[in-house]
This record gives sequence, structure tokens and C-alpha cells, in this order.
Amino acid sequence: MIPSDALRWVLKIVFLSLIAGLAVFAAISLAGLGSPVLAVLPLVGAGGLIYLFLSPRAYPLRWLAPGVLFLVVMVIYPIGYTFMASTTNVGTGHMLSKTQAVHQLLERTYSPPDAARYAFDAFEDPAGDLALVLTGPSGRFLYAGGEASRMLDPDERAADDDGDGRFDRVLATYRRLDFREVVQRLAVLQTLRIDLEGEPVGLRSLPDFTVLRPLYAYDGAAATMTDLEKGKVYADKEGIFTAEDGEEIFPGYRRSVGLGNYLRLFTSPAIVGPFFTVFGWTFVFAGLTVLLNFSLGLALAMLLNDPFLRLRHVYRVLAVLPYAVPAFVTILVWRGMLNLNFGVVNQILVALFGAGARVAWLESAMGARAALLLVNLWLGFPYMMIIALGALQSIDVSLYEAARVDGARWGQQFRRITLPLLLMPLAPLLIGSFAFNFNNFTLVWLLTEGRPPIIGAQTPAGATDVLITYTYRLAFEGARGNQLGLAASISVLIFLIIATISAINFRLTGTLEELSKNV
Amino acid sequence: MKRVAVLVLGLLLIAGLATTASVAGKLLIWADDTRTPVMQIVAAQFTAAYGVEVEIQEVGFGDMRGQLATAGPAGEGPDILIGAHDWLGELIQNGLLEPIVLPGAMIDEFDPVAIDAFLWGAQLYGVPYATENVALIYNKALIPVLPSTFEGLLTIAKGLTDAEAGTYGLLIQQPDPYHTFALHSAGGGYIFGTNAQGVLDPCDIGLDNAGSIAGAVVLDQMVKEGIEVAGADYSLVTGLFYQGKLGAMIGGPWTLPDAVKAGINYGVAAIPTIGGGTPKVFVGVQGFMISAFSANKVLANLFVKDFLVTKEVMLDLYDRGGRPPAYIPALAELTGNADIQGFAASAANGLPMPKIPQMGSVWSAWSDALALIVNQQLDPATAMQNAADQIRTTLGCPTE
Repeated sequence: MIPSDALRWVLKIVFLSLIAGLAVFAAISLAGLGSPVLAVLPLVGAGGLIYLFLSPRAYPLRWLAPGVLFLVVMVIYPIGYTFMASTTNVGTGHMLSKTQAVHQLLERTYSPPDAARYAFDAFEDPAGDLALVLTGPSGRFLYAGGEASRMLDPDERAADDDGDGRFDRVLATYRRLDFREVVQRLAVLQTLRIDLEGEPVGLRSLPDFTVLRPLYAYDGAAATMTDLEKGKVYADKEGIFTAEDGEEIFPGYRRSVGLGNYLRLFTSPAIVGPFFTVFGWTFVFAGLTVLLNFSLGLALAMLLNDPFLRLRHVYRVLAVLPYAVPAFVTILVWRGMLNLNFGVVNQILVALFGAGARVAWLESAMGARAALLLVNLWLGFPYMMIIALGALQSIDVSLYEAARVDGARWGQQFRRITLPLLLMPLAPLLIGSFAFNFNNFTLVWLLTEGRPPIIGAQTPAGATDVLITYTYRLAFEGARGNQLGLAASISVLIFLIIATISAINFRLTGTLEELSKNV
Repeated sequence: MKRVAVLVLGLLLIAGLATTASVAGKLLIWADDTRTPVMQIVAAQFTAAYGVEVEIQEVGFGDMRGQLATAGPAGEGPDILIGAHDWLGELIQNGLLEPIVLPGAMIDEFDPVAIDAFLWGAQLYGVPYATENVALIYNKALIPVLPSTFEGLLTIAKGLTDAEAGTYGLLIQQPDPYHTFALHSAGGGYIFGTNAQGVLDPCDIGLDNAGSIAGAVVLDQMVKEGIEVAGADYSLVTGLFYQGKLGAMIGGPWTLPDAVKAGINYGVAAIPTIGGGTPKVFVGVQGFMISAFSANKVLANLFVKDFLVTKEVMLDLYDRGGRPPAYIPALAELTGNADIQGFAASAANGLPMPKIPQMGSVWSAWSDALALIVNQQLDPATAMQNAADQIRTTLGCPTE
């Protein structure tokens, strides 16, 4: 049933009011969490949506808006966020904001070694107010209405009705709580700080209240934290309160380091060390992969495109199979097959040519690099074959007929007709493939983990490490846990490299289109 | 109409999320799938005793740390979580954990290694419940009597090794520092030393001391004599063992279920002394921790102390996870279990896995060194020296 205009209009209003309600709810919650800037976003979003749906002028935008929204949310925001993160020290030990870290430290308490302990009885009046009787070495205290006072013996404010030595009521209306009721009120009891003769007393663990002095004092002007127990002063050092003798107070906090992460990338000996070897191999790996995969893919495509080849459809399916198996399965199978002593590849080589023919596929630098290219060839040639097949079929057969009439040989046909007409549509895909392999983390990590190690490198790095695996080691296996800020800065650099390649891609595509007009 | 339904669902979801945060007066526990069922039983007992609601939320073991880092400060984290002791450094440095107070007598009821694992300085940050470590697992059909020294074991291993026939005497999966640490530690090798505050000192690296190098030399000798072979990774070593083609391996409790299935008559024992020194294996400890962002710290502490530290709960957890209990009264119930006793004997000489986040930078360099030794591309002393220097460089420590 097609809804009438009126029904449609009502549905629209209901939908929009729900959106508006949701946005207001979200805004209030976010403002409550202390992020007024974020709170504005849902309101702006809902306002925009309502305008889109109610204004006839914005009608065409309704189709564009979702795409733009997703572009902003999925692409632009992450890039911006990554860049923001790359200018901070965020990572293990620096996850909280400074306000959160200071707040957490100021909540910490310590008990002096000879601290008094106070056994307690809790009481509650019908209104739900709590009162406590605290019994410690210096006597007995009654805490009620936010204040504590020493109790006399006997004290008229407390009554022991059944004569068992424990008070059953205080201040006439407060009745003693049993343990079960105390447990239910522990969340409230743990927040109490009671001033007993000038010392703050609180409940840190059952069964007793103890003296809990604040452990730290923060001097906002000097931005220093003082340990009141030891009398030691800690000042900010790279986002963590550090004493002069190097002792640090955890947690640290996030802070801006400007372009410090980028500077480290280019100056720190721990990073620069094997950087250029890795950088070079990344280009060689991505370039050779594209060249090898495309050559084999094209050769097979031309073979399988030959109308005189029998069963070519069967061969086509067979050749696409490696592409159909999930890559990580294939890679692990290859890793097993290339094993030095137990792998089937070496067993075949030894059976054919003797023990000397064993190749250290994953153990030597050259072997591992060859293995990486070989496995990537296995994984990648079907894709190249498929796209080449498609492109080949789109080449007008009459061009070849004309060439044959003109007396062109096979090689000339290939160079003058096939290759230029193939490269025109395929160049962007080849560049895309280069960009993909530039960042091919899965293959390298699963096949070689970047190994074999470069002997004598200043930081752990391997002969088959590409930029992305190397940075993974640096950011997530190096130093103090996860260095998210550093990782973000490398991501930004890789983004710039890939963006440059894409720009070249667009330029080349444009150029080739120009060319094709003249063909 | 569909859109409206989606919206309503969305609203309900938001309301649902809001209620799973740590709320004052109600406990929220994060546990993974193996521990959730046990926790639900304990939670019901706690609710019956005190009328306090306890909710168990199932969170993947691997996701817990990351989620705590975001959910905790946002006030949406749990009060209690169940995790591994080597998370301690990261969690404490990120300000996510609250110290736990246990009576001294209760602490004495735990395996000292397990308590040590959850200590950061002088403060306890978790209540251990299970330990996990490697031991020597051997095939009794091939090695009927285990020699008392590693040297004796190597002699037997050499006799059993026949690469042509595909049989081996003793394999340690490579390159794998976790399984190889016993060789280094027997002579006094260590990873991080301890500083004056009782916390691991990331710049005191012992991977290139005499003991560590001696261990690397033992590995090098094993390769030279053909006992250890390049390419022996986890699946190969365990595979050979299950086929009955391997005399002994260093492995953990996770390798046993398949050995039982394969019908291997195996034994589990502490690794014999190497050069007269006792090998120390890494011990991983699992336990209960309290979030620094909990609104119910005292309540959580009570729950852990009175309801989790009991023989019944500890045995229940053992039944589900199969890991040896860290609680001695529970472990004592399992005297008839030779596997558990074998791993416990190995753990008795063990060291808690270093729990500072700097450990992340150790694995890579150390694995590289082992790979170079096993591939016979570098002598053991230089390989260990390089690894230690690489770690010092990454951590910004002075290199020697």
C-alpha cells in the first residue's frame, strides 16, 4: 500500500521529532560528561537534517548528504584525528588528560604507619541519613550530619536497648544497620571523609575506618605535584610528573609535543638506524610485485584469450583459484611449504638435486625476499589476469586485422596495439596495486614477520620488513608499550606517500585519456 | 516505519549502555567466556547474602585492556575484571587499577610466585587464581627415565635424533624467547633487574650477561649437534610429538589435550638443571583486579576477599579453564593430577613474566637473536649482545 501524502507527512514529522529528541538527549548527556563542544554536534546535525527534509530548496541535497556525511565521518575525521594524535604523546602511560590524571592523583590517600584504626557501627534514620559510631584508641566518636564529636560514657545520644554492649539507636531516630545493610551502603560509606581531631578518616577496606591523609598536593601555578608522605616534589617531564631523581608518578597524561614525533622519526638513532634499508626495500617490493604479477597475469590472459586454445574456460577458472582462497590461509600454507628442514619445497629440491640444493627460503635475506615476491605472485597474478582479460576483450579485433594486412608481426602488434591499449585502462589499477603492496602488512607479517634480522641493526629490523611492519614494531613492540602518537605520525607520512601516488595516478590517467583520443 | 523501529531500538541500546556502567551500590564484573559461568554462580551467592546486585559482562580476553582504557575514564568500566598479571604495568601506568587489600594470612595461602606477580612495588593489584607456565613434556615410550641433568637429556636426545627418519630427541620451538628463557635463566640470565623501589628497572637488561650467553651457547651446541633444527616452530614441534616422533619438548598445558587424543604416554616435569643451575621458566598468572574508576571499591574488595578466595570457587575456575590454581588449598586437592603437579614443579622455580610495558620491545630483539643463532648466522655471544643493545637503544637507555 502506498501511503497517502498526509500519512507520509505525519511519518516525516514523527521521524524528525524523534531525531530532534535524540539529539537533545545526546547533547544533554555529552554536556553532562563535560564536553560542551561535542554537545553542540548532535544539535547541529539534527538541525541540518530537519532543514534538509523540510526545505524544498534543499531537496537535491537529500541525495548528496548521506555520502558527504560518510565521507566526513569515515575519511576526513579519521585523517584529522590521526594528525591531531600525531602531535601528542598519547600512548601507554599517557592515556588520560591532564585534568583526569591530576584529579585521580589528588584522590589518592595514604595511612601513616602508626595510623589509628576505628571500628565502626553504622546507623540510619527513616529519612536515609547515615550516622556512625567510631571506636578507636583515643575514644569513641559519633558522626552525624557531617560532623563528628567525642562521645561521653555514658552518652545520652546513644541507647543500648537490649544490653548487649552495642548501641542499637543513636540520636533517638537512627537505628543500627546489620552487616548486610552496611554492605549495601558501602558505596556511600567509601566516599565519607570524617574529620576526627584534625585527621581525615575514611573507609578504604573493611572492617575499619583509618586515617587517610591526601597523598598528593597539586600546585596549579607551578604545575608541580608534591608527595606529602615523602615530601618530594615532582614536576612535569614529557607528560609525567617526575622527581629530580627520575622517579615518576603514574599515571602520566596526554600533552602536545608539536611536531616532536615527526622530528623523532628523522633524528632518533633508534628509528633512523635501519629506516632507509626498510624504505628502499618497500619500494623495490611494491614495484617488483606489480611488474611480476602484471607480466604473468598478462601472459596468461593472452594465452587464455586465444580462441584456438581448447578448454580455455576450465583453465581460466583454475587460474583464478589462488585468488579465491583467503590470503592469510594461503600465506600460512606457503610458510609451511618453505620451511627449511620440513617444507615440501626443499624436500622436492633435495630429492631432485641432492642435499646441496636446499634453499634457506625464510632464513637468508635473499631467500626471504624471493619467497615474499613468489608468494605475492601466487596471490596476485589472478587479479592481474582477470583485469587484463577484460581489457583484452575490449580491444577492437579489426585493429589486429588491419595490422596483419599492413604486414605487422606478432611482436609489433603486441608493442604497438595491445600494450598501449591495455595500459590505458589498466594504469590506474597498477598504481593502485603498487599502493596496496606498499602497505601489505598481512603478507609480510604472516610469511616472514620481517625476518631474517638485519645483523647489527640498532633497533630490531629485518631484511623483509616493509615500512608498515617496521613501524608496527616501533610503535607497538618498542619502548614503553604502545606509542600511539608516534604511530599516528608515521601513518600521516604513509598517507602523504600514498596520496602523492594517487595524485600521480590521476595525472597519468588524465594523460592517457588525452593519448587515447589520438589513437 | 522501519526507520522509526530502528530509532526506537537505538534509543533502547543507549539506555542499555547507560545501565552497564559502574554504578554505586551495584557490582559490574568483566570476565571472558570461560570464566563468565563461574562468576555467575558466585554473583548469585553474593546477591543472596547481601542483596547487592552483581552483573557479569562477557568481554573478550584480548579486548579487555583496550576497552578498560576507554571505558574506565568515561565512567563506563567495570568494578572488577579478570585478566593476566602482565597487564599490570600498562594498566597501572594508565591509571586504571586500584590496589587491593588482603589480610596477611590470606596472602600466605597463595603460591608466592603468583602473589609476587601481582605486586607492584609494595602494593598488591590483583588476587591471583591460576598460573600458567611451560615445563618439560616427554614421551615415556622414548625416554622411560628422565635424567637429572640437561646434559644427560641432551645425550639421550642425540641418540634419538635421526633427521633421515624424521625422529628427534628434544626440540624447543624457535625462534621463541618464551620457550627458550629456561636455557638463559639457568646460568643467571634475566630480562630486567629490580630497582630500589622493588619495581623492574627497564634499563637493567640482563640478556647479555654471562648466564644468558651461556644459555645461548647451549642452544648453539644443540643446533651444531643436529638436535635442534631451524624451522622447528610450534606446529612442527607439537606435530612431531603427537606422532610419537619426538622424545621431549618444552611446552605448556595447552599442548596436552592433543597429546591425550593422540594416545601419547607423556610425562610433565621441571626442566633438569643446566650446568648445575636451575632453569627458571616464565610464569603467567591470571587474577582479579579492581578498576581505579570503580564507584564500589570497598564493595569490590569485599567480594573478591570473601567470595572468590574460597576453595570451591578456585576449583570451579580450574574445572572450566584447566589452569593450575594459584590458591594452595585448591592446588592441594589436585595431588592426584600428575600433569598439574609437573607444571607446578616447574613453576616453583619460575619467575613472573615481566609486567612492565617495556617488555614489548624485548620480544622482537630477543627473537631475532635466537633466529640468528638457530640459523647459524651469528655466534651466540654477539647475537645476545646485539639484542641487548637493540633493546637499550629502543628504550633510550645508555648502551655499553
